[in-house]
Amino acid sequence: MKAAPRVVSLLLRRFALRHARLEPKRTALLCGILALGVAVFISVRLANRAAVASFTHFTDTLTGQSDWIIQPAAGTLPETVLPELRAALIGNPVVIIPVVETTASRPPRAGETAAFGRTTFTLLGVDLISMANLARQQTGGKSFFAEQTSTSTSTARGPDPSASFWTNFRAGPQLWISAAFAAELGNARTLTLVVNDMTHVLPIVGTIPALPDAPQAPASLILLDLPHLQQLAGKVGRIDRVEFVVESGPRADERREVLRGLLATLGRDGERWLVTSSGAKRESAETMTRAFRLNLTVLSLIALLVGLYLIFQALDGAVVRRRGEIAILRSLGVEETSIRRAWLAEAALLGLVGGACGILLGWGGAQFSVRAVGQTVNALYYATTVATAAPGSVDVGIGLALGLFASLVAGWWPAREAARTPPAQVLVRHASAAPGPAVLRHAWLGLGLVGLGIVAAQLPPLRFEGGSRFPLAGYGAAFLWIFGGGILAGFLLPRLAWLGRRWRNRFATVRIALSHVAAPSGRHRLAVAALLCAIGMTAGMAILVASFEGTVQGWVRRSLQADLYVSSNGAQSASSQNRIAPATWRALAAHPAVEAASVLSAYPLMLDGASTTLTGTGLALVRDREDLPWVQPPVDDTIFDPARNAGLVLASESFSERFRKNRGDTIQVPTPSGTQRMTLAGIYADYGNERGSLLVEREHLVKWVADDQAASISLYLKPGADADALRAELLARHPGLAIYTNAALRSEILRIFRQTFSITYALEVIGVIVAVIGLALTQISVLLDRRDELTTLRALGFTRTEIARVAAIEGSIVATCGVMGGLVVSLALGWLLIHVINKQSFGWTLGFSLPWAQLAALGVTVIATGAVVSYVVGRWGANLPADHEE
Amino acid sequence: MLPSVPANLPLPPHPVAPAAVVLEVSGVTKHYGARRVLDAVSFRVYAGQRVALTGPSGSGKTTLLNCLGGIDRPDEGSLNLNGLRIDQLDSNALARLRREQVGTVFQFFHLLPTLTAAENVDLPLQLLGVSPDERHARVTTLLKRVGLEARAGALPSQLSGGEQQRIAIARALIHRPALILADEPTGNLDSASGENILRLLRELTDETHTALVLVTHSEEAAAICHERVHLRDGRIVT
Repeated sequence: MKAAPRVVSLLLRRFALRHARLEPKRTALLCGILALGVAVFISVRLANRAAVASFTHFTDTLTGQSDWIIQPAAGTLPETVLPELRAALIGNPVVIIPVVETTASRPPRAGETAAFGRTTFTLLGVDLISMANLARQQTGGKSFFAEQTSTSTSTARGPDPSASFWTNFRAGPQLWISAAFAAELGNARTLTLVVNDMTHVLPIVGTIPALPDAPQAPASLILLDLPHLQQLAGKVGRIDRVEFVVESGPRADERREVLRGLLATLGRDGERWLVTSSGAKRESAETMTRAFRLNLTVLSLIALLVGLYLIFQALDGAVVRRRGEIAILRSLGVEETSIRRAWLAEAALLGLVGGACGILLGWGGAQFSVRAVGQTVNALYYATTVATAAPGSVDVGIGLALGLFASLVAGWWPAREAARTPPAQVLVRHASAAPGPAVLRHAWLGLGLVGLGIVAAQLPPLRFEGGSRFPLAGYGAAFLWIFGGGILAGFLLPRLAWLGRRWRNRFATVRIALSHVAAPSGRHRLAVAALLCAIGMTAGMAILVASFEGTVQGWVRRSLQADLYVSSNGAQSASSQNRIAPATWRALAAHPAVEAASVLSAYPLMLDGASTTLTGTGLALVRDREDLPWVQPPVDDTIFDPARNAGLVLASESFSERFRKNRGDTIQVPTPSGTQRMTLAGIYADYGNERGSLLVEREHLVKWVADDQAASISLYLKPGADADALRAELLARHPGLAIYTNAALRSEILRIFRQTFSITYALEVIGVIVAVIGLALTQISVLLDRRDELTTLRALGFTRTEIARVAAIEGSIVATCGVMGGLVVSLALGWLLIHVINKQSFGWTLGFSLPWAQLAALGVTVIATGAVVSYVVGRWGANLPADHEE
Repeated sequence: MLPSVPANLPLPPHPVAPAAVVLEVSGVTKHYGARRVLDAVSFRVYAGQRVALTGPSGSGKTTLLNCLGGIDRPDEGSLNLNGLRIDQLDSNALARLRREQVGTVFQFFHLLPTLTAAENVDLPLQLLGVSPDERHARVTTLLKRVGLEARAGALPSQLSGGEQQRIAIARALIHRPALILADEPTGNLDSASGENILRLLRELTDETHTALVLVTHSEEAAAICHERVHLRDGRIVT
């Protein structure tokens, strides 16, 4: 029968909205739950987008946007390419901008304990005279440096505010900082920075001007003149890249294309340098973080899923409470379809209001999450300067649609149940309880979903350009196992009731409770499924973390064998480029207390369009001193012999997975000295980063990149040498270095590891809380549905405590089923997370560890909490007033 | 099936009146909001006596029954069951009183749907902590007495309305209460089943010397009682 919109509208106005008004707390709670789910998704979406959007090609803040960039695949370019380029481009209206870029951080404050995590600044070295001329061209006005001296901001800074720009310019390294950072610093005239292994106190002489069409300078950007930064960064005679700006005018596009061809030819199609653009760099950053962002999005959807479950329970409870009202409406001639549509419309209204609140909440949340995401992106991928995130119209649309979708999905079954309510003449007070979703009563469906999950777990990941992967089928398998397991776990209820038969005859409360679960309702099964979901995900994550921690501890134990580890004190993130000067590391290695030193060099490397790392060290020392955890060990010792290993390379497991390379394969490694054709001699486990790395003999790498600086150095001390005393001595001599003892570094690595996973513990607690709230809501619905039974029990002489005990026993049996099923599913999810999702996402092999105590505590907590909550609900049910018909 | 015997056989004289008072209702008044549903209701019930509570819908019969069973409390007046002031007992004491001294028969049977017939009957004994052997013996005897020993293992949904009500009567009597409260026990049954239930109630209360307060609209049901209390607008009018 067709539902008249007028009737649906009437039902909505006269009933749904009145109930909402009469129960404002309940309405607010439902909206809040939905809003929270939408907010988490929106805030992660905004934070993700902001993190990608804030990828800063820092030179853009000075040039607007360069047309082309040339840079080596690894290492730096010699300055000698500049005259060559100028000669080749004579007559072309092109501005050539050589750039040196490095990172720095402020020294740790007194009493600062965390070794890592201080803000990383990007130091940009450009030819300031050229930049001033470019600015003049772009603005049609004066040089911005000339303008600087007349501003009140800049006159408050610098070593000599009264001196002219040119006086200051010749005085030595000096800094131009962003307006945002200037505001943060106040009136400070100098800034202390750790660059490589040295600490410098540098004068601030001005702020970076804002140019038309150029992005605003991020707070972490600091500008220096090119030669000064070359000197500070130990890159004298070297540049990191050259950028080109084609002067505007007629046929500019054509000239740009000609220039690209010319640069590619000069670069010998990638052998000397790669030709790219800042737009391409931004796309590369987006690609690089796509898997990370997708993983975050999947996690954020869990919050919505949880909210959906709670809303379902609440709406289901509302159907039970309002059954009498619906029955009367049915008696008055309201059709099933109208009832169903009115309930769906009520759910939709709830979804829209919850979605709107969620957008606002998500916007607020994004201001916090954006920093967290930014920090992670900064630590793992690239320098980003994200600070704020704002929703657009698409986000608003997505938030509302998500709220609407979630509430309609959650409201569908309750609406169906409401529509099936018989007219009042048929609905008698002892009418049997609603059977619950029929889908949960089919064991074959559960088995089918589990089987499909097994198939999905075998499927490969989605692969994106740039080598990142997303385990879509793996996540699909997890969902299939959770839902399949949820259906199957419901069948445990009668089994548990059967096991408890011994106590049926002893206690009336046990008899009643067992009789309920021996023939479980759909609500019981749903509660078991929800508990299984929460326990499965929580315990599965605990297994992953325990396995990860066990593996990392083993890796740290085997790999970290040196007594002292030395790096620049400025190295604060994955994007850090701080190095140790050759003179410094040589002095460290030559110390009388040092028996051997392992020097490590590391350079970002673009390989097949994807970024990775090229590292070099003394491989023989690695073999002799460290216990490299091999995934595929070398077949012989050639790789460890510097005289014979020039064409050999080792790769980390992540590299092998990402680039699909195995032992014996050939890898073409582009370097400033030309492409090196290497054979992959072995693969080792490394949990440092997901982008993977190549490891070669350092003495060859030094020649290829013409750079003898070190990223870090490990010192093996002579027997009897005091590591702590030596550390103190070296730190006093080299304050720009960070030096860790073996124990301190191990503990720092594990601290960072645990910090990274701290969010999972919060998720575990949330999972348990939601599951128990879900159980309580189920019990409320069940008791409301059995109100006549409560009346009977009271008439038979059951005390309120005994009625509450019945509910507690019932709740604890439901919780036990959920815990049992959840723990079984968690083993499967743990395996899936470790061997499929983690392997496909990051390429790491992890050992399987079961955190027995944690899992047992989780199970006991959920069962005990479930029993207590059910007891409380039972007491509430026992206090329901008697009917007042007469 | 029990033979159909007319329920309105001539009543024997009241056995013990006025010696043993089981229930004394004195000046019971009850309001729901501004509406007075019971107004100074007073009467006595003696051991083995059957009292019919009659009256039109809305006269306060069920409210009075709920007060007698300790489900509801009067605003004024007193309720005395075997020397205990029902209206002054706390919730747990009321539950104990119902468990030990009251049996209830409902219009819609209110058998626990997940328990078998025998388990439903057994439940009050289990609550009282009677030993399993004695419980088994008493349940078997009573099921035989109500003619349903063959249906002991059936769930309520597998029983007819008359059978369900016989099980409900057995459950109300199994613990040998002093007072049975019956709310329209035949109201949901066909006439033949209704007659059987009334006969059963009469026989069993006679055999066990149990007092019965029976709320009914039915003349046939009222006819098995020794005394009738007629309510109108919350007041006794006869």
